[in-house]
Amino acid sequence: MSDPTDDERYPGLTESGRAHLKAMAEHAAAPRFRNRSGHRLLPEDLTALAAFERETLAAPIRFSETCGSDARPDWLPDFLRDAYASVPHYRRLGPVPRALTDVPPVSRADFAHDIAAFVPDHIPVDRLINFRTTGTTGHPLLIASHPRVAASYLTFHKRALARRGLHLTHGAGEVGVMLLGFQKTCFTYVSVTPQMNESGLIKLNLHADDWTGPADRARYIDAMAPEVIAGDPLSFTEYLTLAVRHRPRAALSVAMALSDGFRAHLESALGCPVFDLYSMNEAGPIGVYEASAGGHVLLQPRMIVEVLDASGDPLPPGVRGEITLTGGFNFCLPLLRYRTGDFGRLADTPAGPAILDLEGRKPVRFRTSSGAFINNIDLSHALKHVPLAQFRVHQFADGQVLCGLAPFSAGIELSVRDALAPIFGAVEVAALTTEPGGKPLQYTSDLDGAHL
Amino acid sequence: MTQASPTLESLTRRLAELPADFLGEPLRGSKGEVHTAALVRDSFEAIGVSLSAADLAAFEPVATADRNARLLTAIALWLIASEAFAAKPKDVAALLRALETDISALAAHASALQYHTDPERREELARLLLARIGRRPAGESAAVARDRLAAISSVERAHLIAASRAAEQRARDLREALIKKAAEESADKWTRE
Repeated sequence: MSDPTDDERYPGLTESGRAHLKAMAEHAAAPRFRNRSGHRLLPEDLTALAAFERETLAAPIRFSETCGSDARPDWLPDFLRDAYASVPHYRRLGPVPRALTDVPPVSRADFAHDIAAFVPDHIPVDRLINFRTTGTTGHPLLIASHPRVAASYLTFHKRALARRGLHLTHGAGEVGVMLLGFQKTCFTYVSVTPQMNESGLIKLNLHADDWTGPADRARYIDAMAPEVIAGDPLSFTEYLTLAVRHRPRAALSVAMALSDGFRAHLESALGCPVFDLYSMNEAGPIGVYEASAGGHVLLQPRMIVEVLDASGDPLPPGVRGEITLTGGFNFCLPLLRYRTGDFGRLADTPAGPAILDLEGRKPVRFRTSSGAFINNIDLSHALKHVPLAQFRVHQFADGQVLCGLAPFSAGIELSVRDALAPIFGAVEVAALTTEPGGKPLQYTSDLDGAHL
Repeated sequence: MTQASPTLESLTRRLAELPADFLGEPLRGSKGEVHTAALVRDSFEAIGVSLSAADLAAFEPVATADRNARLLTAIALWLIASEAFAAKPKDVAALLRALETDISALAAHASALQYHTDPERREELARLLLARIGRRPAGESAAVARDRLAAISSVERAHLIAASRAAEQRARDLREALIKKAAEESADKWTRE
């Protein structure tokens, strides 16, 4: 397959957009951009995106229509009918069930087995793209997507930002977003966002290997002055070591949950609000953390969030179980009761419908010094005020507990020992070593009875 | 096919007028509402036959039961519970065999609902069940009835084979397209998971 041309990467690129791309890529302090990419949005995509954004930002998100197995939004009957008619996996199951709860849930393993069976018949192959994700099992999974789906993320970011009164303003000649990576190798490039009047998009790697001189990182960030920065706790931690003067208007954090302590630390150090997004390749941005809700407030009006038990039966609001999704905006991969592998409970909060106590992966039980078992969520609560970018708690078969911390410092070590002492008594604490770009298992145990 | 039977039209009309209750979600494990074994028992009682527990064993609501086949079983039972199928002992065994084997085969290729909504599928199901008990639609000779059942089944089979080939080709195309076009190289997202 030949490399795409600029016309294919940036359809409709204006002269000023072209000049902006050059300025971002060729700045004296710019990093080595290793790759090339673009939005690939055609005029008809931009029209559709504008309509989608208008509709989505105006749509209310009501608990009765988005939460729980009894949710009956207006769009659901047509959505189920279309999926059972046009998605091979569902067509094989026979006629459309009367109730959502009669749809058999699917999981990542089903997608991994044959993603093609979940793509509707009418989706043209020629504009299909994929997002590759490794998830918790380590098996790579290709998620079917489309340039318009990728571009739709911005609508949900805008919805999240608007919750705190922020509205994006950057346009031509400015940088709208800088995506921060901190990995040994990272896909890096510059692009423009046509929905934002060709504001710049820069995806860069803060790892020193990508830069000519160590001071270039701060110089470049200051020169580009992005309106929004996006990253994960590890890349933000590295960002904070740089002498950056620029203050973005917002920071979007994805991929790993933020503790309350680390979020507060980030907001103070960055000088801007930090939006902790619950987002996944399979579904896009699902929720944003809001302190007044005590959890992640839902962002998608056309998505039902259920919570299921281990056997796939629905659990009522307030009861903790596996987050399961129906609907969404990825028309290449309609989700019908997709079990995410993440756990939480639903609540109708004053800030809106929300997922509380969100935790990735299956719960792990820990044995306390009194011999009782507690859920890993209790450890998250115990540690939530400690400003940790990342931590890992492991219990050995003999009950001893090891806590790995990043960043590691004497002050943080003491805070962690204090927080965990009422639960475990004395614990061992060490610096956490992580694989670059990895998403480590946060809670692990060798103890009998830890895994239910 | 030795004995004259009701008109084809009366049978297909009965399938078209299927009561909504028969389309309830089949009970499988703890989920669903229609107990297929009970429906089999009741439907045969309607034509004067009492079935044993052994006769019903294949229709128990196990969690692994094929949903589409169970739905189609319910549709077929609605037809069986009519005067046209008033049973003799040998018919009972033939009908039970048809419910276990023919219905699974039909359900593997089409949504059960089509045997209620699609005129051709209604005709196929009616002709098939009638043939299994050695009868034929009124006004048709044995040879005509046999030929028409074969024709309607073979046309459907040809459609299915063509559709199946097209589906396999599309699945191959999709997989190849996904593998070739890593999204990192082809679309912008403002956040990356």
